[in-house]
Amino acid sequence: MASFAGAFAASHGPLIIREWDAVPAGEKSRLENAFEELGRRLKSAQPDALIVVSPDHWSNFFLDNYPAVCLGVGAANEGPPEPWMKAFAHRDIAGHPALAMHIAEEAMRAGFEPSVSHRLKLDHGACIPLWRMGLGTLPKIVPMLVNSIEPPMPSLRRCFDWGRLLRQAIESYREPIRVAILGTGGLSHSIGEPTMGAIHEEFDRRTIRLFSSSGDALISFLEEELPRRGNGSEEVRNWLVAHGAALGRGFELVDYLPVPTVIVGCGFASWRELTS
Amino acid sequence: MRDYWLSRLFYDLQSPAAVAEYRAERDKVLDRYSIGPDVRKALAENDVPFLARRTNAYLLRYYFFATGMKDEEFIRRLRHG
Repeated sequence: MASFAGAFAASHGPLIIREWDAVPAGEKSRLENAFEELGRRLKSAQPDALIVVSPDHWSNFFLDNYPAVCLGVGAANEGPPEPWMKAFAHRDIAGHPALAMHIAEEAMRAGFEPSVSHRLKLDHGACIPLWRMGLGTLPKIVPMLVNSIEPPMPSLRRCFDWGRLLRQAIESYREPIRVAILGTGGLSHSIGEPTMGAIHEEFDRRTIRLFSSSGDALISFLEEELPRRGNGSEEVRNWLVAHGAALGRGFELVDYLPVPTVIVGCGFASWRELTS
Repeated sequence: MRDYWLSRLFYDLQSPAAVAEYRAERDKVLDRYSIGPDVRKALAENDVPFLARRTNAYLLRYYFFATGMKDEEFIRRLRHG
């Protein structure tokens, strides 16, 4: 049977690429170190497959049909469509159709009912962390796109429960492979709204502290606070999926820093596997 | 509120080729969309708050980035019109 190889989370943001040269040296160094440390931890977990949980920034879906959750079940997915992501080395990204379909079927059995796609474009949300973590050869990628862009969005509780479901689905998959999860996005930021550029550091730090407490306290806090912390903060849903997969335990912050040049409160974390 | 065709325009302009055509022949491109005269005027005048009320914030940002407005100017217009 497959085994759970660990959970990881990292921020993303277009300006991490587009404005990289303008990031002050001290912040740039911390961002580089955080991405690299996360990459080191992910590589040491030796995943055969990686479930990348990210938003879709209008790369695949539009108002005609915007799913709450979509699983990529195809043999391959496309690299990022954004012109400024063209230096990302991977244009054709191998999937893991059998694992992805198993997850989709387990989800249906559990009443979760995701959308599925046999070919997705993996935009900067998924690919900036994969790029900056320096993974080189990628494990097989199972994309899971969670709507945190266009209301209505899946509830925070549902996202946490999705993580638990992924864990159960991984551990019931028949092949003896190792499967990790990477949640991307957040922490606080604001895009295309009057508060654009605002970073709520205190909110971010409290969110980070609450990842070390029960899922209930974290979810209650986020339900209350998210509506006034910038639309980009909604992407913390993807961290909740990772947290659920880790069964709400073992959170370990790699680094957090607000970076005004990239207009994101940048967070990086992994979850240690606890045996008891 | 979502103006479907305005949003559709912004969505389509994520393609570099579409943006190039829009910059060169804006009216010809706009004629392909069911965009009302008030919205068309707002596009011509870069009326960011008017457009912001009618589309997704990410699409709005993409549009002004793609058509060459600096973030500082975009944020100023978002806040003050």
